[in-house]
Amino acid sequence: MSQQTNAVLPQGVTASDFAAAVNKFRALLGEENVLIKGDQLTPYTKIMMPRDVAENTPSAAVTATTVEQVQGVVKICNEYKIPVWTISTGNNFGYGSAAPGQRGQVILDLKKMNKIINIDPDLCTALVEPGVTYQQLYDYLEENNIPLMLSFSAPSAIAGPVGNTMDRGVGYTPYGEHFLMQCGMEMVMANGDVYRTGMGGVEGDNAWQVFKWGYGPTLDGMFTQANYGICTKMGFWLMPKPPVSKPFEIRFENDTDIAEIVEFIRPLRIAQVIPNAVVIAGLLWEAATCNTRRAEYTSEPGATPEHILKQIQKDKKLGAWNLYACLYGTQEQVEVNWNIVQGALKQLGKGTLITEKEAGGTEPFDYRAKLMTGVPNLQEFGLYNWRGGGGSMWFAPVSQARGSECDKQYALAKDILNKHGLDYVGEFIVGWRDMHHVIDVLYDRTNDEERARAEACFNELLDEFEKRGYAVYRVNTQFQDRVAQSYGTTKRRVEHAIKRALDPNNILAPGKSGIDLENDF
Amino acid sequence: MKALKRQFMRPVMLGAALILGSGQALAADDSQWESGEQIYAKVCGHCHEAGVGPTIKGRSLPPSYITAIVRHGFRAMPAFRASFIDDQALQSVAEYISTSPAPQNEE
Repeated sequence: MSQQTNAVLPQGVTASDFAAAVNKFRALLGEENVLIKGDQLTPYTKIMMPRDVAENTPSAAVTATTVEQVQGVVKICNEYKIPVWTISTGNNFGYGSAAPGQRGQVILDLKKMNKIINIDPDLCTALVEPGVTYQQLYDYLEENNIPLMLSFSAPSAIAGPVGNTMDRGVGYTPYGEHFLMQCGMEMVMANGDVYRTGMGGVEGDNAWQVFKWGYGPTLDGMFTQANYGICTKMGFWLMPKPPVSKPFEIRFENDTDIAEIVEFIRPLRIAQVIPNAVVIAGLLWEAATCNTRRAEYTSEPGATPEHILKQIQKDKKLGAWNLYACLYGTQEQVEVNWNIVQGALKQLGKGTLITEKEAGGTEPFDYRAKLMTGVPNLQEFGLYNWRGGGGSMWFAPVSQARGSECDKQYALAKDILNKHGLDYVGEFIVGWRDMHHVIDVLYDRTNDEERARAEACFNELLDEFEKRGYAVYRVNTQFQDRVAQSYGTTKRRVEHAIKRALDPNNILAPGKSGIDLENDF
Repeated sequence: MKALKRQFMRPVMLGAALILGSGQALAADDSQWESGEQIYAKVCGHCHEAGVGPTIKGRSLPPSYITAIVRHGFRAMPAFRASFIDDQALQSVAEYISTSPAPQNEE
């Protein structure tokens, strides 16, 4: 039996204890499901954050396929005080990918727990395990001719609903606020208990996937972006596939248009005339996702000059802002809402409407239409080619859906990015009343000087936005403690009190969202 | 688990096309993949046939090179773990890519 490890130990764990734990993992899971060699662990260390890979190197990765095995892993971790970082599909790109939040943590990889346990075509619900991908779900719905529509984030083909929802990710359909559509979790707690939220604890119940709240405290939200338990099953709602979907784009010429665009779209969105998570994508997001590379226009380092941005806009026939939305329903319903949208746009007096007919199957319209109608693709990975080099961090401040606010955030972000020689590559995702202002801080990770600039830039973005009362809704693992600071000490004390109560040995993903019993809270 | 016993149960474990001669090592019957061609269509092709990643078919790339890139990642390309694509499935997709002609719309 090979003991050739990658020489990384969990924090505070002796080599002999670690070896003993590894032997117990092997007995529980089988030799092939306990990875400790450097080459086996390499795929877990491919990160897009600027910090050194060494800071995110795991000591081991174990794969479980049953709830009982997850309970067994937790038991061993408690015995040896081993911190365990759980991943599902492991494709949380720009937020930490598959790497543990802290060096030495053992990864619990749940990708092989990939059962679609139930799809109910009448109630339009799903119950799945953590390793299920959206592509797998899509294929299943198609093969079984079930007329339901998925909502997912852009890495849809290789990401999955459990990981995305547990990290409170969003998508682009009317069900785009994924946590809102979640209904019923099964959690393995740090003490090994299996806890089901909502109706899930009632013997003989069949309403787990249809009624969220159950009785008494409703704790589902507490488990998201958190380290209080390991999700082994999750239920969620699916939208009936409408007879007609009408994706469309409205292209705006000037970057100063953003405030007016938001004021135009908000009433339509709140009133559900436009029911989906509308996107307002900036120029370079659009350019990158129709496979435009920066190197085609300039080899100069630094922020891309304005005259080149204008040239790209002209060459690629893009807007400075590009709004994507979709109407769903019967032909009659869609026509009524289409007329309302057209009327509102006429009143606005600017913006060019583009439908599938005008777009003619070209990118980026095509992938946007797919995202809004639940067809998996990976076209948005074109973002990573804009500068190349595999560096990406999502800076995603929350904003009111108010024009003046979006204008202010856009100007501030662009100034800071440009100051550090980077570009504004961003979009606003319109919730019901909020905006997820999602900016991809793209940099060449193979260039140490640029990597350092990107890190400094991200720190400044967090600092300057915080000074103005803004904070991000989610962040990569390098900055998770920093972002927790933005939300205040009281919140952190409460979170750490819960952590002490539920996980006194601090074994579940210490550091996630800044929650770690090593902290002084 | 009573609530879970509905008409659409367990659609995974679709294909057991990759069967090992013995029970040791990789649990091929656990594979969620049917063939190299299927893996290419469901994963690789989303980028490598869309102009996002480079064209990889029709270049006679050595399977060992492909498997190394898949496991390590390369610049913007993510790394894929054995839990996502087991060694045998990876080998089959690498051989499929290596021996396939270039996509028809490519030179």
